[in-house]
Amino acid sequence: MRASFYSLLARLRGFVRPAVGDADFDHELEHHLAIAEEEKVRRGLSPEEARRQARLELGGVTQLREAARAARGLPWLETFWLDGKLGWRMLRRSWGLTLVGGLAMAVTIGLGASLFTIWDTFAGMRLPIDEGDRVVAIQPFAPASQRVRMTTPLADFRRWRETLRSVEYVSAMRPIDAEVITRNGAVGPVRAAEMTPSAFQLARVQPLLGRALIDRDARVGAEPVAVIGYDLWQSTFASDPAVISQRIEIAGTPHTIVGVMPDGFRFPVNQRLWLPLRIDPVGEEPPDSDVFVFGRLVPGATLDRAQSEVGALGLLRSDAVARTPADLTPRVVPYAAGFFPEVYANSWATGLIFLLGALLLIPPCANIAILVYARTVTRRQEFAARTALGAGRGRIVMQLFVEVLVLATGAGIIGFLLAQQFSGRLSRVMVMGPGTLPFWMDFRPSLPTVLCVVGLSVLAAAIAGGVPAWHATGQWRLSGFSGLASRGPGAQLGKTWITLLATQVALTLAILPSATEMVWGIFRPAIVGPGLPVEQFLTSSLVMEGDTSRFETLRVEAVRQLRADVGIAGATVSATVPLEERFADIEVEEGETSGIQARFNSVDDQFFEVFGARLLAGRRFEAGDFGPGQTPVIVNRSFITEILGGPPSQGPGEAGGHGLGRRVRYRDTAQTRYAAPPSGAHEIVGVVEDFPGDNDGPMMFHPMTPVHPVTVTVRAASGIALAAARLRAITSGLDSRLRLGELRTLDDIYWQRRSADQTFGFVLGAVIAIVFLFSMAGLYTLMTFIVARRWREIGVRLALGAQPRRLLGGIFGRALVPLTIGASVGCALALRLHSWLPIAEAGGQRIPGIVPISAALVIGVGLLAVAGPARRAIRVDPTEALRVG
Amino acid sequence: MTEPRSSILQGTLDLMVLKTLEQMGPLHGYGIARRIEQVGQQALIVNQGTIYLCLVRLLQKRWISSKWGTSENNRKAKFYAITKAGRAQLKAETENWERISGVIGRVLQPESGS
Repeated sequence: MRASFYSLLARLRGFVRPAVGDADFDHELEHHLAIAEEEKVRRGLSPEEARRQARLELGGVTQLREAARAARGLPWLETFWLDGKLGWRMLRRSWGLTLVGGLAMAVTIGLGASLFTIWDTFAGMRLPIDEGDRVVAIQPFAPASQRVRMTTPLADFRRWRETLRSVEYVSAMRPIDAEVITRNGAVGPVRAAEMTPSAFQLARVQPLLGRALIDRDARVGAEPVAVIGYDLWQSTFASDPAVISQRIEIAGTPHTIVGVMPDGFRFPVNQRLWLPLRIDPVGEEPPDSDVFVFGRLVPGATLDRAQSEVGALGLLRSDAVARTPADLTPRVVPYAAGFFPEVYANSWATGLIFLLGALLLIPPCANIAILVYARTVTRRQEFAARTALGAGRGRIVMQLFVEVLVLATGAGIIGFLLAQQFSGRLSRVMVMGPGTLPFWMDFRPSLPTVLCVVGLSVLAAAIAGGVPAWHATGQWRLSGFSGLASRGPGAQLGKTWITLLATQVALTLAILPSATEMVWGIFRPAIVGPGLPVEQFLTSSLVMEGDTSRFETLRVEAVRQLRADVGIAGATVSATVPLEERFADIEVEEGETSGIQARFNSVDDQFFEVFGARLLAGRRFEAGDFGPGQTPVIVNRSFITEILGGPPSQGPGEAGGHGLGRRVRYRDTAQTRYAAPPSGAHEIVGVVEDFPGDNDGPMMFHPMTPVHPVTVTVRAASGIALAAARLRAITSGLDSRLRLGELRTLDDIYWQRRSADQTFGFVLGAVIAIVFLFSMAGLYTLMTFIVARRWREIGVRLALGAQPRRLLGGIFGRALVPLTIGASVGCALALRLHSWLPIAEAGGQRIPGIVPISAALVIGVGLLAVAGPARRAIRVDPTEALRVG
Repeated sequence: MTEPRSSILQGTLDLMVLKTLEQMGPLHGYGIARRIEQVGQQALIVNQGTIYLCLVRLLQKRWISSKWGTSENNRKAKFYAITKAGRAQLKAETENWERISGVIGRVLQPESGS
C-alpha cells in the first residue's frame, strides 16, 4: 500500500517534470555503455566490436528511453492532456459549436444537477439535531390506499403520550402564522408553532437566553408566554439581552417572552416563534384541532418495535371522539418522512424523476452529436494521417471524446454554478412556496452534487463525442481507412439524422408560440410594468408608544395631512401591508364550505382610489360601512371567477353580477384564528378589478375599524424621497410617540413576491432559446455537411458550365427537406397545443397572431441558416475543387 | 496470453535485483546485470535494458535508493542500494517464492510410493 503510494508520488513528479528524469536516464545509459565497452575491450575485443556488443546487450536505446519515460510518468494522463489541449484548440476554431453546444450543455447539466440536489436532499432526510435519526413521526395511514394523514386527533395523541414505551417525549404541534405586534410596531406574519413543551426536550437544544417552554406554560389558564427565535430576536429586538419578560401581542393577546432559541433552531419545521400548545386533558376537542405527532425512540428501541407498539394501540374509532375513518391505522416513520409521505413511500419514484432529469441531457447532446459527427466527417484527412501514423480506432474515438469532454467540462462548471443558483429556488417553487423550506433541507450543492455534475459531463461527452466518433470511424473501418484521405462522397448524414432534425424543427415550432406567451406573461411586468406604478407607493407601519387611546384621532389627522400634502398624491390606511395580505380559510353561504382560501385586508374609504382599482360592480365603501356591526365586503375579480365560478373575462357588469349579495364567512381553523380576520358573515357589496393586474388569487377587503397599529401607504406625487420625508415629518409632527416602522416601496414587495415565477420563466426561456438555437444550428450543419461532401461535384458541374441557380436548387433541396417537414408538422402541433393549453390561467399572456409569427420566424431563420453554406457552395472555384478533391 | 508470463518475469526480475543488492551491496546498473548473468551461469539471458526499467520501478517504491558515484574503473556511475523497506519486501517475496516453488515442485514431482 505504502509502496503504491510512493510509486504514485514518483510518477506524479515524473509527469510534472519529465525533463529531469530523461536527462538522468540518458546519462546513466551513456555510462553503462562506456563501462560495458571498456570491459569488453579489456577482454580482447576491438573497440568497434566492443561498442557493437555493448549496444546489442543493452537493447534499443530509443525504445528503452520511451519505456522508462512511460514508467516514470503517467502516460495515460499525458495523452489525455494532449487530447485536451487539442480539443481546446478545436473548440476555439469551431466557436459556433462551442457556443451553442456549451450553452445547451451548461443549462441541461445545471438543470440535472439541480434536480439531483433536490432528490439527494429528499432522499437523505436526516434531522440536523442530536441523534436526529431517532426522531420519528406518528401519523394515521391507510395501508390499502397508501393514503397518509399528516395530523392526528388530539384524543389519540393524549393516549399515545401516556401509553407508549418505545417512544419518549411524545409531542404535538400545530404550525401557525402569527400576527405579532411589539411595542415598536407590527412585525407582520411570523411562522410560529403551537407546540407541547416536551418538543424542546426532544430537540435537545438549549435556549440562548431565558428558558424553553415548560409543562406549566401549557396548562389551561396559564399566563400566555412565547419563546422567540434568534432571527426574530435580532431583527425585531435588535439583539436586546433584556428581551426576556418583554411583552408582545400575538393575535390580539399579550404574551410574555420567556426565552430566545439559538441561531439555526427552526424546529419543528421552519419556525421563528413558539407558543405552548394547550391541551385540555379531558376537555372537548374544538373543531380542526388535529395535531402533528412526533417523538424520540427510547435508547435501544427500533422503528419496527415502535411501529408494533403504536400499531397495537391503534387509533380511536369512535366518530364522536376522533372522527377517524376506519381504514386508517397509525404508523411510525422517520420524522422528515412524516412531512413528505409521498417521497418516503416512493423513494424509487423520486429517483426516477432524477433519472428523467438526467435524460434531459439527451436532446441537446444528440444535437451536439450531429454537429460533432458532421465535423468529424469533414476532418477525415486529419484522421487519415493519424491512422497512417499508427493510431487505432479506439485512439481516434478517445481523441474526439476528450475534445467534447473539454467542452462538457466547461459546461459542467457553468452548470454547477447554475445549480447553485437554481436548486434552492426551484425547490421552493416545487415543494412548498417561497420561504417555507423545512430546516433540515439544505439545497446548496454538496459533494454528491459535484460528483453528479462530473458524471453528467462525462455522460454528455460520451453521447455527444464518443457516439458520433464511434459511428463515423465504424463507417471508415467498413469502407477501409485508405479511402479517408479522399474528399469525395463517403460518410453520409443518414435518414436518422434527417428525421431527428425534422422532429426538432417540428418540436421547436410546436412549443414556441405557447412558451413565448408563458415567458411573455412572466416577464411582461418586468418590461412594461405590473399595471400599477408600484415604485410610486411607499408603505410603513404606524405605531404609537405607550398609551394608544389617542391613536385613532392622530391616525385620522395624519392621513388628512398626508392627503393635503403636495408631495403626496394619495394616502390610505390598511390593517395589513398591501400585497402581503394573509390567507384564511373561508366558506360561502350556499356555496363551497371547505378547501377554499382567500387573502384579506381591512382598508379605509380611499384605498381603491389610491391604487386606481376599477370598480366592476356594486359600490365602494361608504361612510356608514365603517360603523360598528357593519359587515360589507368588497372582493376582487379573481374571487368571483375562482371561488364563485363567475365568467373569467366578461365585462364589469357580468363579472360582478355573479357575486353581489352573496355572503362569506371565515372558518374557525387554527390558521384563521391566528390570522384574526373580522368575524361574522360578510355580504359582497362590490367587485373591483385585480390589482396589480397579475395579482393571483381571491381577495376580500373589509371596511377598517379602529385598530392599532396600522399600515400607511402613500403614493408619491413627484419623488419617492420627498414622499418619504413628508411622511416622516407629518407623523413625527403630530405626536412624538407616533412612530413609523421600516419604509418600503411596493416595488420591493412586488418583485420579492414574483421571484419564484421569474425563476421558472428564466428556465423556460432558456430551454426554448436552446431548442430554437439547436434547430437552426442543425440545419446550418446539415447544409455545411452537404456542401463539404459535394465540394468536388459542385466544382465539376460549375466547370462544365452549370447554372449556379440550378445547382443551388439541388443543394438546397436536401437541406430543405427537414425544414419543410418539420415546419408543416410543427405548425399543426402548435395550433393544437396553443388552443388546448390554459396559457392565461397559468400566468401567460396571449399574443395575437403568435402561431403565424413563430412559423415565419422558424422558417425565416431556417432559410438563413442554410443560406450561408449555400452561398459558399456557388462560390466554389472549380480548379481549386478539382485540385483538392 | 502474454500478460501472465510477463508479470511473472517482471516480479522475478525485481526479486533478483533486490537479492543481488542485498548480497553485493551498492552496485551500478551494469554491475547488477553482470552479476545476475554470472549467477544464472548464462542460462538466464537478461536484456540489460530491462534491468534499468526494473530499477526505475524499485526506486519509485522506495525499495532501493540511488546515488551517483565512481566505479572501480574510475568511471562515473549511478549506484543502487537496497533500503530497509526493500529488505523487508525481499524477505516477504523470498518466503512467497519458496512457498510457491515448493508447491509447484510437489505438484510436478513423480508420485512416490505408488
